[in-house]
Amino acid sequence: MPYVIASGCIDVNDKSCVEECPVDCIYEGERKSYINPKECIDCGACEPVCPVEAITQDRAVAEGDEPFVEDNRAFFTEVLAGRDEPLGTPGGARKIGDLGTDTQLVLAWEG
Amino acid sequence: MTSVKTLEVDILIVGAGPVGLYGAYYCGERSLSCAVVDSLSEVGGQVTAMYPEKQIYDVAGFPAITGRELVRGLAAQASQRDPSYLLDQEAQQLEKLDDGRFRVTTTRTEVVAGAVIVTGGIGTFTPRTLPAGEEFLGRGLAYFVPSSQEYVGRDVLIVGGGDSAIDWALMLEPLASKVTLVHRREQFRAHGASVEKVRQLDVDMITNAQVTELQGDRVLERAVVSVKGEDEPRVVEVDKVVAALGFTANLGPLREWGLELADNRHLVVDTAMRTSLPGVFAAGDITEYDGKVRLISVGFGEVATAVNNAAVYLDPTAHVFPGHTSNEPHDVPVPA
Repeated sequence: MPYVIASGCIDVNDKSCVEECPVDCIYEGERKSYINPKECIDCGACEPVCPVEAITQDRAVAEGDEPFVEDNRAFFTEVLAGRDEPLGTPGGARKIGDLGTDTQLVLAWEG
Repeated sequence: MTSVKTLEVDILIVGAGPVGLYGAYYCGERSLSCAVVDSLSEVGGQVTAMYPEKQIYDVAGFPAITGRELVRGLAAQASQRDPSYLLDQEAQQLEKLDDGRFRVTTTRTEVVAGAVIVTGGIGTFTPRTLPAGEEFLGRGLAYFVPSSQEYVGRDVLIVGGGDSAIDWALMLEPLASKVTLVHRREQFRAHGASVEKVRQLDVDMITNAQVTELQGDRVLERAVVSVKGEDEPRVVEVDKVVAALGFTANLGPLREWGLELADNRHLVVDTAMRTSLPGVFAAGDITEYDGKVRLISVGFGEVATAVNNAAVYLDPTAHVFPGHTSNEPHDVPVPA
């Protein structure tokens, strides 16, 4: 039951959540950040610190934000714009840094 | 520089969280000598590091128990046969020796064990650092408070908004000359009732603030605190800073042990909790197998399975079933 970052994050990308995550599973994109569902340990430390309340458990996303459950996964399984291979499970966002790109869904998001 | 000590045991348990502690107890039941290694200076793993004050409702036999009480009970249970604890040391290298045993090297000890059980959870915990103050680590800045003695009569600054920061504020306020608490956000993550207690005390709580610099000649003398919305940073005279910013966990060296990994973070095991390397077993959150569910109670079952199968690995004439504990007298320690 991983946590999910939904549309509220787009173009805000505050990243307070990144500082709370004990397993460093929140990766920075350009317009928003993404939680790696395979690396998330469900501890919930990220949820209360988001200033725009964009983070919930996957089974509790707000109405209209359901596509973000799959999209958080897609960030790691799709080949992202500007990259050659999927990210997979890198084992820590700090090592990778800002990815500077987003999923197709987020790139096209007009909200 | 401390010299490296050598220790020989039947079983080395890597990770002193709830599952590692229960494994130490079971080694005792099987009369196997055991050492438990952990990079933290306290036992309890994720529970102690992340939620010691929270009620846990799904540990078999306990309708509700705090993380701290659970760890205390497990440590007392494990103490029956006196396992060796190698705390504040990270297990780094694993090699198989010619005689079939394993040598595991930590930052301070060399352990030679007949078998190894990895109960490493989500990996080694390291405290999140206070970037502004790293140079004062050991000269006034600390990430833990192992003893309150050195804080008596001092001006103390605590950084953080979780249970640890609040608990240390409560612990140190009666002893210290002055306690200041600095937190990045408005809201504290800690237990509401504890935060209220701190508000009643003579603790200066500065929220929406960050420590931007620690200053001093040979020792720490002051902290510069930048508060959101204030143009001028505040300067707080302090001689001690405790940074309670939480932990990050990483498998680190365990990834190099030549064990089959799943998703770069879990050890694949079979139904007897064997990893891909004979003689190395695993239990708890670190394991992966079809149908795995990461719960404390599941981990307890897995480590009992691992210890009892490790007993047979060490002595093929032994039985995997340990016998009924009720059939033997036990000197049961009462949790402290």
